[in-house]
Amino acid sequence: MADPTVALTFLAPEIIVALTGALVLVIDLIWIRSTDAPNTPRPWLAYLSIAGLGLAAGAVIGLAGVQTTLFEGIVILDPLSTFFKLLFLAIGMIVLLISVDPLPGFSKWSAEFFALIVWCTLGNMLLASAAELFTIFLCLQLTSLPLIVLIGYAKRDPLSSEASLKYLLLVLVSTAVLLYGMTLVYGALGTSTISEIGKVLAEQRLTPVLALGLVLLLTGFGFKITAVPFQYWVPDVYEGAPSPVTAFLSVGSKFAGFALALRIIVTGLDIPLNWHLIFGVMAALSMTLGNLGALRQTNIKRMLAYSGIAQAGYLLVGLAALSEMGIASLLFYTAAYGFANLLAFTAVIVFANATGSYEISDYAGLARRAPLASFALTVALLSLGGLPLLAGFMAKFYVFLFAAQAGLIWLVAVGVVNSVIALYYYLRVIWQLYVPEGSLDPISVAPRAGLAMSVCAVGVFAIGVFPEPVLRASQMAASALFGG
Amino acid sequence: MAMGTVLAWTILLPLVGGVAIALIPQSGSKFARPVALLVTGVVLAMATWLWISFNPADPGMQFEIVRDWVPGLGTAFHLGVDGLSLPMLFLTAFLSLLAVIASARISEFTREYFTLILLLEAGLIGVFIALDLILFYVFWEVVLIPMFFLINIWGGPRRRYAAIKFFLYTLAGSLAMLGGIISLFLATGAQTFDMIALAPQAARLSLAAQTAIFTAIAFALAIKVPMVPLHTWLPDAHVEAPTAVSVLLAGVLLKMGSYGFLRFGPQLLPDGFERLVPLIALLGVVSIVYGAACALVQTDLKKLIAYSSVSHMGYVMLGIAAGTAAGVLGASVQMFSHGLIAGMAFLLVGAYYERAHTREISAFGGTARVAPILAGTLVFMSFASLGLPGMSGFIGEFMVVTGSFGPFTTYSAIAAFAVVLTAGYLLWMLRRVVFGQLNEARADMPDMTRTEAAAIFPLCIATLCIGVFPQVLVGVMEASVESVAKILGA
Repeated sequence: MADPTVALTFLAPEIIVALTGALVLVIDLIWIRSTDAPNTPRPWLAYLSIAGLGLAAGAVIGLAGVQTTLFEGIVILDPLSTFFKLLFLAIGMIVLLISVDPLPGFSKWSAEFFALIVWCTLGNMLLASAAELFTIFLCLQLTSLPLIVLIGYAKRDPLSSEASLKYLLLVLVSTAVLLYGMTLVYGALGTSTISEIGKVLAEQRLTPVLALGLVLLLTGFGFKITAVPFQYWVPDVYEGAPSPVTAFLSVGSKFAGFALALRIIVTGLDIPLNWHLIFGVMAALSMTLGNLGALRQTNIKRMLAYSGIAQAGYLLVGLAALSEMGIASLLFYTAAYGFANLLAFTAVIVFANATGSYEISDYAGLARRAPLASFALTVALLSLGGLPLLAGFMAKFYVFLFAAQAGLIWLVAVGVVNSVIALYYYLRVIWQLYVPEGSLDPISVAPRAGLAMSVCAVGVFAIGVFPEPVLRASQMAASALFGG
Repeated sequence: MAMGTVLAWTILLPLVGGVAIALIPQSGSKFARPVALLVTGVVLAMATWLWISFNPADPGMQFEIVRDWVPGLGTAFHLGVDGLSLPMLFLTAFLSLLAVIASARISEFTREYFTLILLLEAGLIGVFIALDLILFYVFWEVVLIPMFFLINIWGGPRRRYAAIKFFLYTLAGSLAMLGGIISLFLATGAQTFDMIALAPQAARLSLAAQTAIFTAIAFALAIKVPMVPLHTWLPDAHVEAPTAVSVLLAGVLLKMGSYGFLRFGPQLLPDGFERLVPLIALLGVVSIVYGAACALVQTDLKKLIAYSSVSHMGYVMLGIAAGTAAGVLGASVQMFSHGLIAGMAFLLVGAYYERAHTREISAFGGTARVAPILAGTLVFMSFASLGLPGMSGFIGEFMVVTGSFGPFTTYSAIAAFAVVLTAGYLLWMLRRVVFGQLNEARADMPDMTRTEAAAIFPLCIATLCIGVFPQVLVGVMEASVESVAKILGA
């Protein structure tokens, strides 16, 4: 246990991120006061935010070796939190980079947009470190509330407002469920720190109250993870939200749910329930329903939303193995999926800026107009589909391998069949890009989007070809979780 | 330089070259083909160097190179060649160069095209020299992607259908193979995917386990060969693919399947392989006869050649199933020889198509009068294909038939008889295309161009060389083939 002042230095990354958000707002206020043209775009605010997140990432790396708990055990620093924090910061930076160009109508409020993304990232980072139920609750609010605003940011677009309202209702319901679950667990066990809960659970019999509390808790996370049966909100919200926000939701928010769920689930494994089966069934349903849903979509954002549900299923396959290596494969999968999905969304944003459409049928012949962005989308979709040399293959391979090692052959079979279904609809988009003849006007790709695509594409290839560093990081994180 | 490094560069150079071509700016598109020529030429030079340095007396792996890849998972970047893979490596390098030469008329997306061709070359070579199961699988899949796009973008009118059919077939197979590889890893309990290190443990697995695992892998391999009834993707893919891609598809891609049988079967899962041998032999013979029968009734020149590939690959499979030294050697020679002859055939059909914009056999006739060199080469190809002594096709098929006579007397007899069918469809095709009345529409058909000659004649020379001096090829293969036959004979 460190003394409070020292403890604060361990939270340096979070403090930097919090200040970055505030700084962006303040600077923007000063700038608006001192200029005649307050509506001009201000991409430098995004760069400032990115620099802040980059600094925080440096701090996370600097603290990478620290393994401790702070403030009576409510905050924990270990390789798992480091892994997720770096992932969240990377996601935050890329999303900021791709937020600059789609915002022409909103440039007056761009500072708020960037600040909200920064704070949302802060909430995600804290969730990765939170080790006490009510801290978890606060951190969850910190990520959810900015998201409600962000989703409704395109306020003149009815779809965006609708999505925002739906997300608000979802947050309300899931928060209520979660809080109820937390109260029951606290009532049954008399403690709220996760490490204590683990100790008490090991000796306790499963009472109905406790069981209900745990189920409600898991339900609360289920919404964030977007796994079946908590997925129904996903397509509408993903479609309506401004695209960078959708990109952020699809990876940042989902992984935050996993970061959190992992700590609690691993702690609760002593409870005599067939966890293999519970998570296995959830995984199988998510993969199958997600992929079948995606098959019918004509809108790329909705397709990616359903594909995201399916991807949550693959992640759960890693969880269902309930082994250290299974969790490691899950973590590896998050990194691989994160880069690929952001890459896909960046390309989608580039196309939408040029054509104003998210319909897959409007992608006809885009390869001639924007060869690099088309290539980027192709790489992203092939990686999501799990083809070798790309991150997605290694990720699926690890997840399936360790699920098979845990004896979940049926689940691997479901996963493999699903991979084929998924490839079908990913490929359909790729044909659409390359095969039909369309207009020939070249689409210019903004340098920022180009940079974001390059970074993500390098990530996808690097993880696919040299998976070792990320694999080692995920194994370390997983073994920390199991107290190794 | 260590030869292992040379081996690694046969994969790396096409990869680097492919990326380099992709990075050429639009204005420099015309440099794409020269760069590709240079890269494939150097790769061929390296392959030749490896061939010369190869010690034919050693049946094991040579020029091995091992580098850490993902030690956490027991998989490494492990390459090496033996008498089975070296000829395939050489064949790939040879045909890739010729494919680039033959791609002179590609005018759309040239950079992308040559990038994909080089990626394809890297993937194909990788499959033949990888000694780690995961590495093997990765290359196996890498081949799929450029092939899909090459058919899909530069193909004929029904390319979409053909490309997706090819993709789905191979993908279904690949997943079965991945399942097989994972099961093999888990069943042996070895913490490695290295084929050499895994072999003794895999061979100790129970018969049931070996059979199950080998069946999964064999399914993927059989699709690639292809063996009837899993062959239906092949005619479509061939007909729609651009000429140079057909050359690589028939010349090299199909050999991935038969090579995989040799590598996984006797060397990794001998008992599982033995168990499936009756089925492999049966399907091999069915492929021989069925492929030839289908070729007989085709009216499309390219489809005819495609079905003849099915038939010729049937000989390869029969030889492998026979498991005798002569059978396996014949299969290996036939793999190489079919690569040359099929390459030749598709280049010729491509040349005919470019002149007439149709591949219907009835659209030709008497072409020997207007284009004697082109027609003459078509005749030469047909004789090579039907197994005229003195050309490479004869050596392979003859050895397969004699080698399989012991274990599969009836099949061997049928295979020998099927040569008549082969002669039938080829000679009949020649009569309608090359000889007979000159079709008026073809009256001003130009003869073979220099570029075409540059792509086709090396194949003719190689076919003759192997036909006359089979020892050039057989010498390299013999030791490794003996060791395979010994495992199966025991």
